[in-house]
Amino acid sequence: MGGVNLAHDVLDAQLVDHRQEKIGRVDALLLELEDGRPPRVATIVIGGAARARRVGPWFVALRRALRWLFRQRAEHVSRIPFDKVRRIGDSIELDVDERSLESEHLEQWLKERVICRIPGAEGEQK
Amino acid sequence: MKKWGEVALGVVTSIGGFLEVGSIATSTQAGAEFGYRLAWVLVLGTLSLGFLMEMTGRLAAVSQRTYADLLRERFGYRFFLLPLAAVLVVSFLVLASEIGGVSIALQMATGISFSWWAIPVALLGWALLWRGTFGIVEKGTALLGLVAIVFAVGALKLHPAWPAVGRGLLPSMPRDDRARYWYLAVSILGASISPYLYLFYSAGAIEDGWTIEHLGVNRVTAGLGNLFGGGLAVCSLIAAALVLAPREIRVDRYEQIAMVLASPLGRAGFVLFLATLCITCFGSTLEIVLALAYTMAQGFGWNWSENLKPGKDARFATTYTVLILLAAVPVAIGLNPLTLTNVAMVATAASLPVTVIPLFVLMNDGDILLKHTNGWLSNGALVFIALLSVVLLVAAVPLQLLAGG
Repeated sequence: MGGVNLAHDVLDAQLVDHRQEKIGRVDALLLELEDGRPPRVATIVIGGAARARRVGPWFVALRRALRWLFRQRAEHVSRIPFDKVRRIGDSIELDVDERSLESEHLEQWLKERVICRIPGAEGEQK
Repeated sequence: MKKWGEVALGVVTSIGGFLEVGSIATSTQAGAEFGYRLAWVLVLGTLSLGFLMEMTGRLAAVSQRTYADLLRERFGYRFFLLPLAAVLVVSFLVLASEIGGVSIALQMATGISFSWWAIPVALLGWALLWRGTFGIVEKGTALLGLVAIVFAVGALKLHPAWPAVGRGLLPSMPRDDRARYWYLAVSILGASISPYLYLFYSAGAIEDGWTIEHLGVNRVTAGLGNLFGGGLAVCSLIAAALVLAPREIRVDRYEQIAMVLASPLGRAGFVLFLATLCITCFGSTLEIVLALAYTMAQGFGWNWSENLKPGKDARFATTYTVLILLAAVPVAIGLNPLTLTNVAMVATAASLPVTVIPLFVLMNDGDILLKHTNGWLSNGALVFIALLSVVLLVAAVPLQLLAGG
């Protein structure tokens, strides 16, 4: 039996971009349903909203309340077509760039607005 | 050859990592109130931690993924939130008490109240995390932590009656004050088997680039390191039994623990006690903060490594920054560090099922561990620890209410 087990090997797997930067995990997988065609795995979703839905309605409500409290309006979710998948192994490599992903919004924001304003933050290795 | 250098360092690391505020506090309390009779609980805690560290280290070395990675991958996001929340809450309490331990040591050295020290200690810890590499954090604090050997010197100088110590190493039932006896037993187990220790250890295996080649190193590190660390905790119990118990001193402040070493070793003992408390608690502070940031980053799939510049893993760096500063708050507002420690140890004991039971599933998964899955000995030990953890979960809160404080 070849094939990749979606629940076991894909959902929750570590995602990396084309430069091997870690860009989150597979938070949801979407099937594409079109009339007259068989369903197919179409989209990888990364983002807090997708994660919250997996926990339950109470968690979605809690998350909404927190977002309201902190005045967060935009949902930073990435929906990546499955044909961007380059390799499935210990992690899943996607042909995308970390910097262009909506789900990496917080990482980029913290990096630019907070972390890199503190001396000693920039560069690659310590 | 280089690998056995790592073993030596690993052993040293475990000593530095094992003896910290929780172990010092709970084992001296046990010695002061029950003589040698609770020593067997330290043996039990040490053995359990040794097995858990060996397993999480093996898991990381073989699969190239940490325990937190696999908790998310194999059990899904919904389940992952449970150990994540439990570890965040209890390790945060332990973190606060470690900062409290350093602050108390500084208060005893300078006369300036511990609450003033909390924020500077947190800032210094943060600066080390910001600039330092994993090797500096791991090896630096561990080498300095060797000062804890002073507990062995102190215990030996008090000339304990070894047959009596030997009897203490065997399980016994309390004769009187049962609730307090079992309360201290639960605290000791919470201090020995702390989830941050094996979460840190398995992330450390990845930071240090361990592979299947390192399985021997892993076994020796987990085994010998805990033998030494647990041995030192037994020594502090012995010293407390000989110094505090005859005077009927019940430990409710850190200052009293200093007597345990000042009595046999004089002024040097007092100074070395302060150094031990300060260094081991500071080392544990760094390890706990990192363990929490690792667990968050791995669970959510963020970039993480203590060897990367903070700009390369902004969410990871933000997590440790926020946590270490927040954890200084309870101490800064003047909560008694020893009370904090005791509550943290009992909470830790109660949290163990959610991080121990999933390990049983992972350690028997041939997809992850190939031919290095658990044998009968490790599985037997893990089943025992899992059952123990459930008992601790049930017993912790009633005992805290009956006999805590």
